[in-house]
Amino acid sequence: MQKIVIALVGQPNVGKSHLANAMSGSNLKIGNFAGVTVEKATARLKTEDFAIEFIDLPGLYSLEDFSADEKVTKDFLQKGEYDLILNVVDSTNLERNLMLTTELMELQRKMVIALNMDDEAIKEGIDIDAETMSKILSVPCVRVSSKIKTNIEMLINQVLHVTKNEFIAPKLVYSDEVEEQLQTIVRFLEDKHFTTPHFSNRQIAVGLLWQKREIYALMHEQPLYVELHPILNNALGHVYMYAQSEDIEEIINRQHGAFSAGLSAEVLHVTKVIRKNLTQTIDAILIHKLLGLPIFIFLMWGLFQLTFTLGRIPMDWIEASFGWLAETVGNTIDNEAMKSLIADGIIAGVGSVVMFLPNIMILFLGIALLETTGYMSRAAFLLDGFFHKFGLHGKSFVPLVTGFGCSVPAYMAARTLKNKKDRLLTMFIIGFMSCGARLPVYVLFAGAFFEENMAGNVLFGIYITGALLGLIAAKILRVSAFKGEDEPFVMEMPKYRLPSLKLLWFVVYSKSLMYIKKAGTFILMASMLIWFISSYPKNSLIEEEYTTKIEALQPSVTEEQSNSIEEVTKTVEEDKGTSLEEATKALENEKREKLMEHTYLGMIGRTIEPAFAPLGFDWKMSVATFSGLAAKEVIVSTLGVLYSLGDGVKEDDGSLRAIITANISFQSAMAFIVFVMVYLPCLAATAVFAKEAEETKYTVYLVIFTFATAWVLAFITYQGLMLLA
Amino acid sequence: MDLSQINKNQKAHIKSIHAQNTLKKRLLSLGLGIGKEVEVVETSLQKNTIKVSLGYSSIALRFDEAKLIEVEVA
Repeated sequence: MQKIVIALVGQPNVGKSHLANAMSGSNLKIGNFAGVTVEKATARLKTEDFAIEFIDLPGLYSLEDFSADEKVTKDFLQKGEYDLILNVVDSTNLERNLMLTTELMELQRKMVIALNMDDEAIKEGIDIDAETMSKILSVPCVRVSSKIKTNIEMLINQVLHVTKNEFIAPKLVYSDEVEEQLQTIVRFLEDKHFTTPHFSNRQIAVGLLWQKREIYALMHEQPLYVELHPILNNALGHVYMYAQSEDIEEIINRQHGAFSAGLSAEVLHVTKVIRKNLTQTIDAILIHKLLGLPIFIFLMWGLFQLTFTLGRIPMDWIEASFGWLAETVGNTIDNEAMKSLIADGIIAGVGSVVMFLPNIMILFLGIALLETTGYMSRAAFLLDGFFHKFGLHGKSFVPLVTGFGCSVPAYMAARTLKNKKDRLLTMFIIGFMSCGARLPVYVLFAGAFFEENMAGNVLFGIYITGALLGLIAAKILRVSAFKGEDEPFVMEMPKYRLPSLKLLWFVVYSKSLMYIKKAGTFILMASMLIWFISSYPKNSLIEEEYTTKIEALQPSVTEEQSNSIEEVTKTVEEDKGTSLEEATKALENEKREKLMEHTYLGMIGRTIEPAFAPLGFDWKMSVATFSGLAAKEVIVSTLGVLYSLGDGVKEDDGSLRAIITANISFQSAMAFIVFVMVYLPCLAATAVFAKEAEETKYTVYLVIFTFATAWVLAFITYQGLMLLA
Repeated sequence: MDLSQINKNQKAHIKSIHAQNTLKKRLLSLGLGIGKEVEVVETSLQKNTIKVSLGYSSIALRFDEAKLIEVEVA
């Protein structure tokens, strides 16, 4: 069986992924959606004689290194191994799409053009003569619709046909003046019997004339460059003279533009004129001067409501089922340590990740909708002005909004930003958008220190404060660490389109899978580690001491009871019973606390305590911030354990609330909230950050930056409140 | 006259683009070629960003970028 590698190339929003999806049928394995993925993704299709592999490259407007996405595509097209370019074109926007097509034709590779969205074009009265177009270009052009799956079979046949046959050079003609100069260069190269494995002589001539860096680098090394140089100079001089411009980019653009316009005029027939299309009508409302922002804010609010309210429902079920699983599995294991590792470490660890999956899925769905419908660019349009004041880019809003759900996908969402500095800046402040895992901590503390009816407002205040701090931090970073030119804001506003349910499902499915895989491994490892250091070393001395103490209580109970005469009323007996129970419980708790203090975690707590002392944290709070690195939810359970309530205490547990109110001062608590609000999201997120930021130094900066900011802000909070008190 | 000075619902032809290399390439590849007709469709509240339509597509750009595009009212 022969393997065929197809590179899908096209401008953004032309439906490349969708087409790959339609072509590969059920064998879909694509992970590249709406500009979020920088890496190439593949899908496979097996026919009788061939195994076709699709490489779904990120969309691009031209073969320039404008963004990380575009560089990936360009590099792959120039250096990667593939058999054929499948150029996907939006039939409803033919002329501009053809600009990229002409650039692709200059690559001199086997190519097939898919005139996608044919159904939409027909509706708009656009008719493209694919047959004529194929003849003019010497490249097969097929009208297809990935949406209603028309001509998919024909497209596959064309792809196979082109692969099986010899390469036919596509016919791309420039103006006579340019062609003349190209001929001169080609003739010279041929006279010198010059050949290279990767490029044809015409390609080299075009590359030289268009001043492409790679071709220059290649030719510069050749001895014949000495003779070529004056010829080339002469040719360029002529081109400049004809074009009456010395700007090569403009000349190239005009050449490509003229070719595209000419071809368009030849093959495109518009049968009816639609004065105002649906997109313009919707845009008149959605990006309206006055209505636009309120609508946007309402939509965001709705997304959050859905994420938190709808997401909470399955959360409880998942929590319950993992609890059940831990118990059931735990009961089958005799070895105490093994049982603890599996039940408290592994199952609880995986559970804490899976628990947030519903929220993540809803948020992903919301973001997928924003992206696929075309609303994202509108939101960026609306927000750019405000964001720009803080040194952020309009497009930063997507990762920031995602950050309220979970920082892991938020860091990945930052890929939509083209400029590296803008991208890093956004990633640095994602942590300020309080993620869902911090919510339990806030709920615990807000409930402990504020009246019930105020707690909700406090919670809202925490989120807003976090976001505002993030904006201020962005401004500070912008004028210090990430100085430099702003990324220009120029973006296409694609047509509004309703995404197919299959596509939406796939986005949610593949991203959820990614979340489980990536975050799951890190949180799993972290929770196993926390389990280990909070369980070892075992201290049998303390264990024995308390066991004796507790046992000592028991006989006294029976003694007292036997000594007691019948006249003692039942109420008194009950009183004694509860007080004894309480005494036992208190001893148990004390034992747990003592044991905890002597574990590695306890030792770490004692060691790091001085660093947190100026913030008003005791060693237990210090440890909680430390264990919170694994995941923020761990803070609550750590505090529960450390304040002698045993593990598994939930944020809504009144007793933990009471103990916290009793043990922690208001000032310390506020400082603690501020610290939790700002410091590093979690290890999983940090690992994703490290991967996305590419350079290790940025991860080091992030750790230092978040800890320093958190410490300073918590210090100010604590000391400020102490002064006020 | 530059693109930022064009009123809403007004059409203009692009005469030249004064942007630096990378931005210029980007604008050109988005279809903002010399001689093309553009129409300003929407401006944001504080005149920060504008939306222009050209042919079958719409482009959003910041006022700063629009200033670099020299146009002639159609």
